[in-house]
Amino acid sequence: MIVIADGKTTEAAQRSDDHETDDHENLWLKLDELPAATGWQMKPEGACLGELCVPLPESKRAEWTVDTEDGAWLNYSEFADMIGQKQAHDGDVWSLSSVPEVRRSGLESAIAPDFEVAERNGDTLRLSDLRGRKVVLFTWSSW
Amino acid sequence: MISVAQDSGGAKAVDKWFDRASPTFRCVIDTTHQISSLFGWVNLPCAAWIDEQGRVVRSNEGVLPAEMGVNLGVVKLIAGDSSFSDATRDWIEHGAASEHVLSSAKLAEQTKPVTDETLLAEAEFKLALHFEAQGDKGRARRHFATASELAPDNWLYLRQGWTASRSRAYSDLKSYRRMSRLNKNTDKVFSDRTGLPGENYRRFTLPEWFWTPMLQRFKQRRRR
Repeated sequence: MIVIADGKTTEAAQRSDDHETDDHENLWLKLDELPAATGWQMKPEGACLGELCVPLPESKRAEWTVDTEDGAWLNYSEFADMIGQKQAHDGDVWSLSSVPEVRRSGLESAIAPDFEVAERNGDTLRLSDLRGRKVVLFTWSSW
Repeated sequence: MISVAQDSGGAKAVDKWFDRASPTFRCVIDTTHQISSLFGWVNLPCAAWIDEQGRVVRSNEGVLPAEMGVNLGVVKLIAGDSSFSDATRDWIEHGAASEHVLSSAKLAEQTKPVTDETLLAEAEFKLALHFEAQGDKGRARRHFATASELAPDNWLYLRQGWTASRSRAYSDLKSYRRMSRLNKNTDKVFSDRTGLPGENYRRFTLPEWFWTPMLQRFKQRRRR
């Protein structure tokens, strides 16, 4: 299974008991693969992305998480629905939109959203490393 | 200065442009359009100014430089002007005191809102880019089209989608026609007007009556 999120594409395990649950409309992710695939991390206070933490509703915890012999899993689709993150999938390729709360808080504070991209010369460019300097950012393409 | 080539074609598609520019600035190739997604941009060329504290002071800026144009031999159609580079120099010199720095209210007004449709369109667009990279043009086309339907004012989804289309000329024609139609109905063609002149595609488009007979002829020829 392939997960596309936040400019990254990662391979993630598929629930081996999937055929029994017949649940192809939900993205189930193994908790230990969750950070690499989506950026979210499970902590005692809930699911956290950087400083943003969202508690899982107690009433849904049993439904959204499951333990199998492969490990613990989260029904990420249900979680994404709750936080308003949109998802599109085609076969076993899943694509996740930006997290709306992250986008909106960036708009309110006017702090530039941070990103990390590879430079043409092979270096890694992280926008927040340029604090203290004025930055002009511009996009173009060949088409 | 960060120059972002936002192009699913990657180095193969953009290297010659970078090489020709002999850049002295930072150069990035963003094949997944991550930067536009984060800033909520819907077309390119597009720009932002970010100050020393990491605050955005101008964004969603359609930038067409004075050098950009189409040389037709006898005449050269000039697309842009130097207004953006002049304004940028002014900001670099005067910082927050520059008249070109936008207030937070103006900045918010100029930023596209985040809606369910734009988020879903973003997910579909990223799916399309993935399939295009895998060489699965059929699925790429399908998801590019869905993204474009969900976010009709996003020219990135439409224009990047051309790279997977069957006939480049035919989709160009359809897209420019749509642009003409949008021009007729709204002032907000590309990014919202920012006060700097020469920043959108308005001047490239032709009236609706021009396209209609041309498209009909083209469709008839395709049917034959």
